[in-house]
Amino acid sequence: MNPNDSDASRFRPATTDRRGEQDLDVLLVHVARGDQEAFETLYDRMVGPVYGVIRKVLRDPSQSEEVAQEVLLEVWRTAGRFDPAMGGAATWVTTIAHRRAIDRIRSTTAATDREHRTADVSPPHDEVAEAVEASLDRERVRRCLDSLTEIQRESITLAYYGGHSYRQVAELLNVTLGAIKTRIRDGLIRMRDCLGVS
Amino acid sequence: MRFFRQDLHTLTGAYALDALDSASEITKFNRHLSRCQSCASEVRGFREVATAMAFAATTEPPAEMRDQVLAAVARTRQLPPEIRTHARPRRTRSAAPRIPWLSGAIATAGIVVAVVFGFAQAHTQDELNQARSHNQALAAAQVRVEAELSQAREHDQALAQILGAPHVTLLSHSTTAGGVAVVVLDAATRKLVVATSGLPALPAGKVYQLWLIGPVKIVSAGLLPSAQAGVTTPVVATGIVTGDKLGLTVEPAPGSKQPTTTPILALPLPV
Repeated sequence: MNPNDSDASRFRPATTDRRGEQDLDVLLVHVARGDQEAFETLYDRMVGPVYGVIRKVLRDPSQSEEVAQEVLLEVWRTAGRFDPAMGGAATWVTTIAHRRAIDRIRSTTAATDREHRTADVSPPHDEVAEAVEASLDRERVRRCLDSLTEIQRESITLAYYGGHSYRQVAELLNVTLGAIKTRIRDGLIRMRDCLGVS
Repeated sequence: MRFFRQDLHTLTGAYALDALDSASEITKFNRHLSRCQSCASEVRGFREVATAMAFAATTEPPAEMRDQVLAAVARTRQLPPEIRTHARPRRTRSAAPRIPWLSGAIATAGIVVAVVFGFAQAHTQDELNQARSHNQALAAAQVRVEAELSQAREHDQALAQILGAPHVTLLSHSTTAGGVAVVVLDAATRKLVVATSGLPALPAGKVYQLWLIGPVKIVSAGLLPSAQAGVTTPVVATGIVTGDKLGLTVEPAPGSKQPTTTPILALPLPV
């Protein structure tokens, strides 16, 4: 893999300010001190990915809204416990969002409804009113996903966007457990290099 | 199932995508992570990939959400930073196991449990109605989770055991009659705690009755206490068997031997 340099510097929805905006990590520090204005800024920057990833996993708009609200409040409540050593603020927030969505499907009957729906293995498609920034991320991720083998791509999208466990993914793709673990990991390694994540 | 080091290492990808499928697997992997520097850094990198995927999925949320969240923030107390001590790896907080995925479930459980427990005292009827019309979840976070949990713990030992159990599952579901039931399930001991919020008030002579609806038989799990400000105090149910659903029906007082009406809730219990 040959990570493209300009990509490496451009990809950082996470922590760097691409357009002179305040660094998210710094914002989160202010949020942790009870600064509601900082939270508003953080909200505006993060609500799209938070709601978006939850929607991907849960599909249902009203459930997604509910979980997104819980997540954003949790960010406010627990901002003081954010540990930069574990990754950037954007990663911290989106990880909470994804986990809460997963918690929801693994703990409610929503899981049963989901069984009946076809798995969405396509790369994310355009929604209403997206920011330019988001479409850049989208394009970059799509391009990197396209660089994977089909099974790597499907494993990763089924797991992350589809909210399936690797065991379920193995079943869906009719591949052994050992193979699916490896495909997910290999695919992520390629994604990481393609996206220029350090 | 046995996990060998090699197996564990290849799980970094699935772990970073929250795709491990049992709490015990997550526990094992966390233990491994604390010892495996290269795994931890691999997971960090993968999480950044996941972050990019979340950004790529960016979707405009409903516009009214912003005001609702900001209003809730304005009345929500923040948790103090965690004091990290490296000297003693021994667990000091028994009620909050340090398993990232699970502690997530517990944080969520904490929030909902806090609503359910703390609501009656914390709000006037007006606030309650307003909050409910906004969103259950929003209202939830008004309450200080940890304080409420410890209060609940003092309240009732059986309850506390379940809430403090290492592997609880949070279930919440709205009933067909409106309102929501919140269940904290401890699969290991086959016990659960259930509380409800916002169920319609019943006419005199009617009660809400809980059931464990199994594949073979239906067992009463007791009556719901009458609601205060829309919220019922938690009820403990024991003896759950595999395949049971938690059912809720409206019955003539003082309850029935078997359900006589269609359940307004039939929540599968993963034990």
